[in-house]
Amino acid sequence: MALPVTYNVRNVLVRWRATAATILGVGLVVTVYILMQAMAAGLERSSANTGDPRNLMIVRKGSTAESSSQVSREQLNTIQYWPQVERDAAGRPLVSGDLVVIMNLPRRDGTGEANVTMRGITPMGVTLRPQVKLVNGRWFTPGQREVVVSRKMAQRFANCEPGQKFKTGGSVLTVVGWFDGGDSAFDSEMWMDADEARAIFDRENYSSLLVRVADTNAAAGLMQRIESDKRLPLRADFETKYYATQTTTALPIKMLGSLLATAMSIGAVFAAMNTMYASVGSRTREIGTLRVLGFRRRTVLASFIIEGAILAGIGGLLGCLVALSAQYLCVAFGVRFGTLSFNTFSEVIFQFRITPFLIMKGMLFAVLVGILGSLFPAIRAARLPVIAALKSV
Amino acid sequence: MTIPSFILKNALRNKRRATLSVLSVAVSLFLLVTLLVALRELTLPAEDAGAELRVAVRNKISIANLLPARQRATIARIPGVAAVTPFTWFGGKYKNEESMTFAQFAMDPKELRTVFGEAKMSEESYTAFEAERTACVIGKMSAEKFKLQVGDKIALESTVYPVTMEFKIVGIYSGTPDDRNMLFRQDYLDEASGIPGQVGMWWLKVKSAEEMPRVLEAINQAFENTSAEVRAETERAFQLGFISMWGNIKLLVTLISSAVVFTLLLVTASTMSMAIRERFRELAILKAIGFRRRELFAFILAESFVLAATGALVGVGGAWALFTYGNISTLTNGLFPMFEVTPKIIGIGCLVAAMLGIVASIMPSLAVARMSVVEGLKSLD
Repeated sequence: MALPVTYNVRNVLVRWRATAATILGVGLVVTVYILMQAMAAGLERSSANTGDPRNLMIVRKGSTAESSSQVSREQLNTIQYWPQVERDAAGRPLVSGDLVVIMNLPRRDGTGEANVTMRGITPMGVTLRPQVKLVNGRWFTPGQREVVVSRKMAQRFANCEPGQKFKTGGSVLTVVGWFDGGDSAFDSEMWMDADEARAIFDRENYSSLLVRVADTNAAAGLMQRIESDKRLPLRADFETKYYATQTTTALPIKMLGSLLATAMSIGAVFAAMNTMYASVGSRTREIGTLRVLGFRRRTVLASFIIEGAILAGIGGLLGCLVALSAQYLCVAFGVRFGTLSFNTFSEVIFQFRITPFLIMKGMLFAVLVGILGSLFPAIRAARLPVIAALKSV
Repeated sequence: MTIPSFILKNALRNKRRATLSVLSVAVSLFLLVTLLVALRELTLPAEDAGAELRVAVRNKISIANLLPARQRATIARIPGVAAVTPFTWFGGKYKNEESMTFAQFAMDPKELRTVFGEAKMSEESYTAFEAERTACVIGKMSAEKFKLQVGDKIALESTVYPVTMEFKIVGIYSGTPDDRNMLFRQDYLDEASGIPGQVGMWWLKVKSAEEMPRVLEAINQAFENTSAEVRAETERAFQLGFISMWGNIKLLVTLISSAVVFTLLLVTASTMSMAIRERFRELAILKAIGFRRRELFAFILAESFVLAATGALVGVGGAWALFTYGNISTLTNGLFPMFEVTPKIIGIGCLVAAMLGIVASIMPSLAVARMSVVEGLKSLD
């Protein structure tokens, strides 16, 4: 017969003085683990969340980022009249020639400068990206040196309030509005007129083309046509797919998170072991009594392992709560994180993203720590000689 | 029995607990040292010998924008400039690798010795680099990683230029803090890419430290209001500019370190209280036979100190030994080329351990102080 679980729960709670530190310790391990992985998840989401499934992105063959790609104006002119390209109500092809330039701008808090992605778009660029919504001010006027900045970017960089100006490439740009990218990669960008950008940054070519296609058949047809046309050293792929592969930035954070969690959990296993050994030590007589009452060795063993798991489980729950409240506070106060993206070589802005899966993993982690930490103490409890245990004080 | 041996005996009376406590302190301190070293490496890049006289000139818009090659003559004429070379990022992928594992730059082969003097290479290599147009030199670390030797040919596909280029290795250099980069000739890049007249950056050497501020000023002014304004800064400032781009990573690591230290404190404090609670009766006897409170404090403090110090020895010492004698550079795929445990970091680790020893003994000491002798003698636990 198994010992009731309430026995273990009450044991953990009644000895709270001895268990509190271990519970908190396991809790912190879980917090660190979840938050680190949540950052990686947030970073990955910002790119996985980007793009419209009806769009194709065309870049130069061999380039890994838009900023190092080049598409000439002749190529844009050729492609935009292809039959696969969708047209709007007025019959204009839904194509945007984009110029992506990396600019160095000072941070708002004065802690230095960072690279920012400036995207020049042609008039269809906004229509092609329904994820992006204007939230403040107005869109830029084509032919004017005006920029619209992502709201999240504006919170991090100086001179990005509507009406303010900043200088780059020898020209003065006026901020006329803010947009919201809906947690996509566009949240880390500034937009302006493509042809103005080409003039300011002295670029002959565009960086990439964004093309709306009617359906998957048209998409396949367009990709096929670009692939087979030897005069076009270009490559077309779905916009969503292009962004989905841009996830290498999250890798170091993920690795660091796993490494930290592993190392910290080793420490937590030692702590749990200590607590459980002490628990077994002070309950020697109780264990003897249980054995006399007829509970088997394996029942005692299982009971102590369950107790360890409960102990760590409480810690895990606590850790999850702390992590969730950290996320809640960050969202409530609009705190965002930014780091250098290895894909775009400019700042990418992201937010914690705690998924149910992460919570599950964190809890699993905690329970595992509990089981590992209580294994040896439980074996010791199970092996106690009954008579000697009863005699002990 | 002397007092030190009494303390030692007490610390070791429950060997298993002592071992577990020491180990948990050691693991946490190891982690703390690792984080501090990583943070230092991220925020303070290795300083090259001769770096203080070196200047990086980039496009004012950002480093990703190119500069016209015609600027070279203007820069070279500025008084105080000893040597100048283009330095162009190629962004090549070696073989079929997913991402770049070492950087390649195009430069003027004649200026390798003058601008990057700390790179050590044989005389034949220098001569060959200056003589053969397809020549390249590669850092020792990359050469070892890919088992490359002088005379080998390598092909790299650029992610920046629409070209795949083949190079002949004529030298393997060492002596820089990060021997990984590959250097090749700007004139070869111009020809192969078909886009001559543009370079990534200018790197130059200034004659003396006194002339540095004036040279920086002169370069910045020389191209003001041209189509390619530049930003000239010392190598150090240039590197620090990169660090700002890491964004909140520094804050993040600091927060995690604090969490680690806090966990550590909790665990050690709980172990100490456990050890003291177990021998309340004994401490009551000591009190009864005339030991004073402060003597009992001293016992507890010393015991907790011994545990923390041993933990520090194992954790900090272990980290130092591993990072000094282990090959972290290879393990992290070159992400952390130095990974040096500085005396300051060792000091921080030991300081945390000492604090730990003191703080962990406070709670049990208070409990002992409050306990009356009779109460203590009665306690069973």
